[in-house]
Amino acid sequence: MTILESKFLNTKLMGTATSQPGFRLRGLGFSLLLAASVLVSPLVSGEAVAATETASGKIPRLNGKPDFSGIWQTTSAADYDLEPHSNRKDAPPGAGIVEGNYIPYLPKALEQKKKNFENRETADPAAKGYSLSWPRTAYYPEPFQIFQRKQDVTIVPQFGHSVRTIFTNGTKHHAGEAKEYWLGDSRGHWEGDTLVVDVTDFNDETWLDRAGNFHSEALHLVEHWKFLDANTIEYKATVEDPNVFSRPWNLSVILHRHREKNFQLIEDYRFTLDYDQYYPPKKP
Amino acid sequence: MKNSVRRHNLRRAGLLLGAFALLPALGQAQQAAAPAAGGQAAPRQGGSYSNEKSFSAIAEGKWNGPRLSDGQPDVQGHWSNTIANHSNFTDPNGGAPGEQRRAGSAPLPPRAERAPSRVSDPVDGQVPFQPWAAEKVKEFQTFFANPIKPEYIEPLARCAPAGVPKSLYWHGYEIRQYPGYVVFLFNSGTRIIHLDGKPHLPENIKLWQADSRGHWEGNTLVVDVTNNNAKSLFGRTGEFASENVHVTERYTFDNSNKRYNYVATFTDPTVYTRPFTVTIPARRWTVEEKPNGWHFETNLANHDGKERILERDERICTENNGGFGVVAVSKK
Repeated sequence: MTILESKFLNTKLMGTATSQPGFRLRGLGFSLLLAASVLVSPLVSGEAVAATETASGKIPRLNGKPDFSGIWQTTSAADYDLEPHSNRKDAPPGAGIVEGNYIPYLPKALEQKKKNFENRETADPAAKGYSLSWPRTAYYPEPFQIFQRKQDVTIVPQFGHSVRTIFTNGTKHHAGEAKEYWLGDSRGHWEGDTLVVDVTDFNDETWLDRAGNFHSEALHLVEHWKFLDANTIEYKATVEDPNVFSRPWNLSVILHRHREKNFQLIEDYRFTLDYDQYYPPKKP
Repeated sequence: MKNSVRRHNLRRAGLLLGAFALLPALGQAQQAAAPAAGGQAAPRQGGSYSNEKSFSAIAEGKWNGPRLSDGQPDVQGHWSNTIANHSNFTDPNGGAPGEQRRAGSAPLPPRAERAPSRVSDPVDGQVPFQPWAAEKVKEFQTFFANPIKPEYIEPLARCAPAGVPKSLYWHGYEIRQYPGYVVFLFNSGTRIIHLDGKPHLPENIKLWQADSRGHWEGNTLVVDVTNNNAKSLFGRTGEFASENVHVTERYTFDNSNKRYNYVATFTDPTVYTRPFTVTIPARRWTVEEKPNGWHFETNLANHDGKERILERDERICTENNGGFGVVAVSKK
């Protein structure tokens, strides 16, 4: 039984819901119906629950852990600009998603950020079709699909298909010299029902948003993924980069499950658009 | 451009150049891959192509191996094809068009002793092109080694996804399965095979990796492939399909779970005179084997336990700072 359901039934028992006799009678009938439906509702076991599960239903589980499988997308406008801003020709206004509002840049890095912002139309790596990396993929306005097994979580974004593997098998960050991954090296573990992911070993090719917020190879990300309900995930990230920021800072967005009938990712490669008109050969 | 990106692309260049110059004549020659240019770290060990002289057909039938919770045969893991690469579609050991064989290397054996064509039907092993299309293929082969126009550049050299069927003979890949899905993680691109019976995308959406709907019949994954933009071509010899192509794939897995054969029919009345069949053998690679710079690019996970766990790095290729591979692409 959910908290809502038990609260409702408790209210009925206490007799505090309302003074109208008619309502009380209807309320009682409804309580019985509710109780009956709770008793007969199917148990969730093993498999991910279909996307038609109500918002107040149980979260889907796999091997006892929350199962994030599905296609997700934020409604946040964070990709335009992580920080609070008025509207611009190329962006709606937004309150941003940074805890404390402003990103704590080191002075030199702030100069770079301003330069990035001035040149954003051409300098944004996303405009060139580069991998978005993380955390930006979380709040970019295109869906991504999560596939989950016991040993890993695989994330395929629609934009560019830069497939990310989060290892959840107890392994540590790779040993040896840095590889400077586009997506970093992701190692996840469960703390209760929260997936905590530690990400290191990034390259410095990507931006955090369209406004030119950026990072260096020293980026260290700690993500928290948690269901708010079966169709909603809260994504939180702590962003740390001693080359760019004076201290770690936090952002968070809410991800919604795509529940449209037959919804699927549609491959979105941008960098190929510069030359794909030359293929395949056409009949003269 | 940043070193990090250049390193990734040049590492790839090193693998391609090294493996090309030393194309093995017969069997599986062991040669070290040439070190990458620019003083970067050498590619990991190995780099030779598998070159089976023959392979067995695999009968379609019952699957006796492990299964996923939704009943699918569990064929997850690392796989690769067993004959050569994308240099030559109908003569896989024959080399790319205009390719110079290195002085001192053994001459190619006669055609009958080289690997069979990937075209298994018609029996002449040639793609049944309409005359205009055959002319286009000849043109591509003429200019492949000296691409005077962008259309003569093999798209993989520009990091384009490898598409259907080329993804299956462009490096090794990983298969991951989930209830309702088979996911192929290729070296260039990803294919998500939907098993839940949802309809194909609307037909005017065309994709590098097409749109796939599949179901299992015993040991065989049957996949219907549409919405193909056909831009990836089939390889360096320039064979191609159009965006009208319809592909029906059958991946038949041996009950040993160590091999499968890909048998696919390509139908496109705007390019071919008749449908034709492509057959590509593949085998599994396991943690018992050493990494191979082409077929099996994995690492061992870092952890406290004794178990050897395989990991695969991200596969992200972005054209940004000049060419790599056999065909040079200079970006202004």
